[in-house]
Amino acid sequence: MQDLDELFMQMRTKAPQPSDALMARIMADAMDAQPRTTMRATPPARMGFWATLSAVFGGAGALAGVGSAAMAGLVLGIAQPAPVSALTQAFWGTPLETVELIPSLDGFLTEE
Amino acid sequence: MARDTLAEVSDEALLVLYANGDPAAARALTLRLTPRVLGYATRLLSDRAEAEDVTQEAMLRLWRVAPAWRQGEAQVTTWLYRVVTNLCTDRLRGRVRRRADALDDAPEVADGAAGAEAGLIEADRMAALQTALDALPDRQRQAVILRHIEGLTNPEIAAVMDIGVEAVESLTARGKRSLAAILSGRREELGYGEGD
Repeated sequence: MQDLDELFMQMRTKAPQPSDALMARIMADAMDAQPRTTMRATPPARMGFWATLSAVFGGAGALAGVGSAAMAGLVLGIAQPAPVSALTQAFWGTPLETVELIPSLDGFLTEE
Repeated sequence: MARDTLAEVSDEALLVLYANGDPAAARALTLRLTPRVLGYATRLLSDRAEAEDVTQEAMLRLWRVAPAWRQGEAQVTTWLYRVVTNLCTDRLRGRVRRRADALDDAPEVADGAAGAEAGLIEADRMAALQTALDALPDRQRQAVILRHIEGLTNPEIAAVMDIGVEAVESLTARGKRSLAAILSGRREELGYGEGD
């Protein structure tokens, strides 16, 4: 057993050393498998029409709000729902379509 | 990180650095672990080319597991020894299958001591010990190499082989007795006198 321990000791000191080629292969594997943590620098993408428009209004959400408000105004102007007509009548006393913006001009415009 | 500052860094910390993209950590781990892995694989397989393949495969598995490595659960070297043990076991089984296929009526496992004697073509001690190691059953050979060549403690070997410490002690004791028996007939040839 003492001889055996001596043999073990000799074998331990004569461990096989990896060749340069093996080390190179293992390093290449390490580089290939290594997670990439650095962000690759990419040029900013060119902005299209809608992207520019939404940026002007402060983003797509704000642009949607502005668009909705515009559509609502158009609908109210064309359809003239009853509550709107009643409101304008309360202010002006007459339906909106008969409002005389400059009544005093009538006399000048009247042909005699 | 500079290479000289990595000498004191633990294997596990280096693995974390590697997973974070530090190329110096990859180099430090390669330099530190490859010789140990190759040494163990060579002793288990007794074949340099196969041992190199196993070493590269084991290290590749280490690189791949690095991002998911759970710190504090296992030592990097213990994990590596386990991977190498499994890879070598697969290769040794493949050898046995190929041998069985080649010799239709051959017995499944040849007698270890007889095989060691027949395969003893070099007279030097290292070759004799390697040949004797090759004659041991797989588990005994793994335990003896890990204990007496790689210098692991019994609890470390137990973790590598996924067995209890008592089983490790039993395997190494039986392995050493078998080695002594195999080598006893070659004492003079190996330069040991009768009185040594």
